[in-house]
Amino acid sequence: MPELSYREAVRDALATAMREDDGVFIMGEDIAEMGGSMGVTHGMLEEFGPERVRNTPISEMALAGAAIGAAMQGMRPVAEIMYEDFMTLAAEQVVNQAAKIRYMSGGQLTIPVVFRTQGGAGWSPGAQHAQQLEAWFVHIPGLKVVFASTPEDVRGLLWSSIYDDNPVVFFEHRTLYGVKGHVPEKIEPIPIGKARVHREGEDVTVIATGRLVHESLTAAEEAEKEGVSVEVVDPRTLQPLDEETLVASVKKTNRAVVAHEAVTRMGFGAEVAAVLQYQAFDWLDAPVERVGAKFAPLPFAPVMEQFVVPHADDVLAAIRRTVGRGN
Amino acid sequence: MATEVKLPRLGQGMESGTIVRWLKSEGEEVAKGEPLYELDTDKVTQEVEAEASGILLRIAIPEGEVEVGRTIAFIGKEGEAVKEVDETGARPQTVAEGEQPAEHPGPGPSLSTPTNGRVKASPLARRLARERGIDLASVRGTGPDGRIVAEDVERSEVAPTPKAAPVVAPSADVTSTPLSNVRKTIARRLTQAWTVPVFMLTVSADMTRANELVARRRELDPDIRVTITDVLTKVCAQALMRHPDMNVQFTDDALLAFPSANVGIAVAAPQGLVVPVVLAAERLTLAQISQVRGDLVSRAREAKLRAEDIEGGTFTISNLGMFEVDQFVAILNPPQASILAVGATRDQVVPLDGELHVLPMMTMTLTCDHRAVDGATGAEFLKTVKASLEDPGLAL
Repeated sequence: MPELSYREAVRDALATAMREDDGVFIMGEDIAEMGGSMGVTHGMLEEFGPERVRNTPISEMALAGAAIGAAMQGMRPVAEIMYEDFMTLAAEQVVNQAAKIRYMSGGQLTIPVVFRTQGGAGWSPGAQHAQQLEAWFVHIPGLKVVFASTPEDVRGLLWSSIYDDNPVVFFEHRTLYGVKGHVPEKIEPIPIGKARVHREGEDVTVIATGRLVHESLTAAEEAEKEGVSVEVVDPRTLQPLDEETLVASVKKTNRAVVAHEAVTRMGFGAEVAAVLQYQAFDWLDAPVERVGAKFAPLPFAPVMEQFVVPHADDVLAAIRRTVGRGN
Repeated sequence: MATEVKLPRLGQGMESGTIVRWLKSEGEEVAKGEPLYELDTDKVTQEVEAEASGILLRIAIPEGEVEVGRTIAFIGKEGEAVKEVDETGARPQTVAEGEQPAEHPGPGPSLSTPTNGRVKASPLARRLARERGIDLASVRGTGPDGRIVAEDVERSEVAPTPKAAPVVAPSADVTSTPLSNVRKTIARRLTQAWTVPVFMLTVSADMTRANELVARRRELDPDIRVTITDVLTKVCAQALMRHPDMNVQFTDDALLAFPSANVGIAVAAPQGLVVPVVLAAERLTLAQISQVRGDLVSRAREAKLRAEDIEGGTFTISNLGMFEVDQFVAILNPPQASILAVGATRDQVVPLDGELHVLPMMTMTLTCDHRAVDGATGAEFLKTVKASLEDPGLAL
C-alpha cells in the first residue's frame, strides 16, 4: 500500500476526481499558482489549467456563492475556504443558501458542493486563524459535516463528499497535513455517516475528532500501562452521526470520554454526550466526560495556546476520572 | 462579612449529620460558645456551639441530613446581606458577576453532592441491581464520591445479602418509626461484626473479694459509688496491659496494637446502645474510673455524649448482671478485637478442696476477633481477669 501524507491524500482525491470527471473543479483564494496557503493544491494548476483551478477574489461570501451556483447548474465544485475562521464570512451562503435550496425547491435542485476548510491550533496562529468551528455547522439541517483525521480517511471521505448530492462542509486540521499513513492503491470511497474504531478496548470509549484522535490514541497507550483498556472511536462524519457505532461501543465499555479541540462548552461533544446518555443510559457506569479547549479565545503565545487547547494528558485525566481514579 | 456556620466534622469518619433542631431562631442574638443547634450524628446527638457572636441572620438548613462542610447558617451584623445557599445542591451559588463559570460542568472528583437519603449509583449499577434483585442500600460504593458503580454491585452479588423475610402485612396497631442515625449505625456495625470470625471463651470467677472491695470502698467514701463494673474496668485494663496481644485491632493490611487500654462500657441509652469509653483506664484509680464512668453513663442516658466520648475504645465490657442475666455472648464492637459479656453474680455451690462451698460466682464470656487474636492468647487474658477479680490485689 502506498504511503501518503494527509496533505497529499487530499490532493490525490481532488486530482483523481478531476481526471475522471469534467464536472469537478476547485476554486479558492491563492489555490492556483501558490498552491493554497497550506500547499494542498500545489501543482494542480499545471495539470488542470486555470479553468478548473480557479483563483478567486478575497471574498469568502462571493466564492461560496459562486460554488453554490455552479453546483445548482450541475457541476461538482470544491471550494477552499483558506481558514475555518473565514467560514463565518461564507456563512450566509453556506447556511442560508446551500443548506436550504434543495428543501425550498422541493427537491428540484441539488447542491453537490464541498466547502473544504482547515483550522486548528498548535502552531501559534493566534485568535483568528485556528478556531475549530464545526459545532456551528453541525447545527444546520441541510449540511453534511466531515472531519477526517488520517490520510486514508481524508481521501476516502473527500471522494464521497464530492459525489454526495448535498452540500458538505469538510474540515481538515492544520497540524495533520504532515501526518503520513498507508492508503489503498486505488481510492476507496468511505461512506459518509460511518465511524471508525481505531483501537478496541474494554473499559472506556474515547470518542474523538481531528487532532484529538491522535492525542486519544496516545492517551490510550498510557492508560493501558495503568491497566485501563481504552477503545478509541472517530466518528469521522459529524453530521450525519454514526450513533449506532458510538452507542454500541459505550454499551460495551460502560464509560465514555468525548474529546475535541473546539471549546468544550456547547461543543460537538455535548451532542455526543446527550446521545450517549439517552441511548446508553442504563449502560453508563460513570458520567460522560468531555475534553476540549478552555472557554477562551486562542492566545498567540505558544505556552498559552498549549494551555488552552487539550492534549493527550487531558484525555488521560478524563479516562482516569471515568474509572474512578481521578482523585 | 457574615460568618458562615458550616457543619463540623465531629469525629473521624463523620461524613454527614442530621440537624435535629435549632436552639436559636433567625434574627436572634447569639454569643460565641452558646449552644446553637442540636446535631444527630451516627454516633451521638449533641448540642453544637456557635463559632461566632452576632445575629443569627439566616438558617439555611432548618433540619435534616447535611454533609460535613456545608453552610447551614450565617451569623453576622444586623441587616447584613448573606449569600444565597442552594438548599438542594451542594455548593453555594457564588459566581460573581462577570466571572466565567467553571468551564467543565461535569462532576469532577472533588465535587461532592449531598445524598438527601438517595443512594448514589451509576445508571449501569442501578440496572444490574434491578435485574439481579439487589438492594442498592446494602451495597458499598467505591466510585467517585462513594458512588455505587457496576463493579460494586457485582461484588455484592458474590456475597449475597440474605433476602429479608417476607414482611407480614402490617395491621393497624403496628407502628413504623423511621430509623434514627444511632439505630442505623448500630445495625450497620453489628452486621459488619457478624462477618468477623470469632471464638468465645467462658469462665466463672469467685466474686467474694471483689464484692468486699466494692463494699469497703463505698464505706470509705460514700460519695463515690464504686460498682462491680468499675472493678471490671480496672481489672480488664490491667490485664490488657499484661497481655498486649489482646489490645489490638485487625485491619486489612496491618494489625494495630494500642499503648493504652481504652475500655468501652456498653450503656443502654434511651436512643439505643452506646459505648462511651474510659480512656487509659490502666492509669486511673478505682475511684477515678468510677467518677469517669458515672459521668459518661449519666450523659449517655441524657443523650449528651460528645463524639470524643465514644471514640478510641480498644476493648468493651457489656455487663447485664443488673438484669439478672446469668451469662450471655456479646457481639464484637468493631473495629475492636474483643468484648467481655458479664452476667449476674449468684451464690453457687462450688466444690473446693473436697468440700462444698457456697460462693458468689460471676460468669463472663469473652468474644474475640480470631483474625487478630488466637485462642490461647484470649484464654491467658481471661485467666488474668479471673485471678484479678478473685484477688483484686493482683491488679495492682
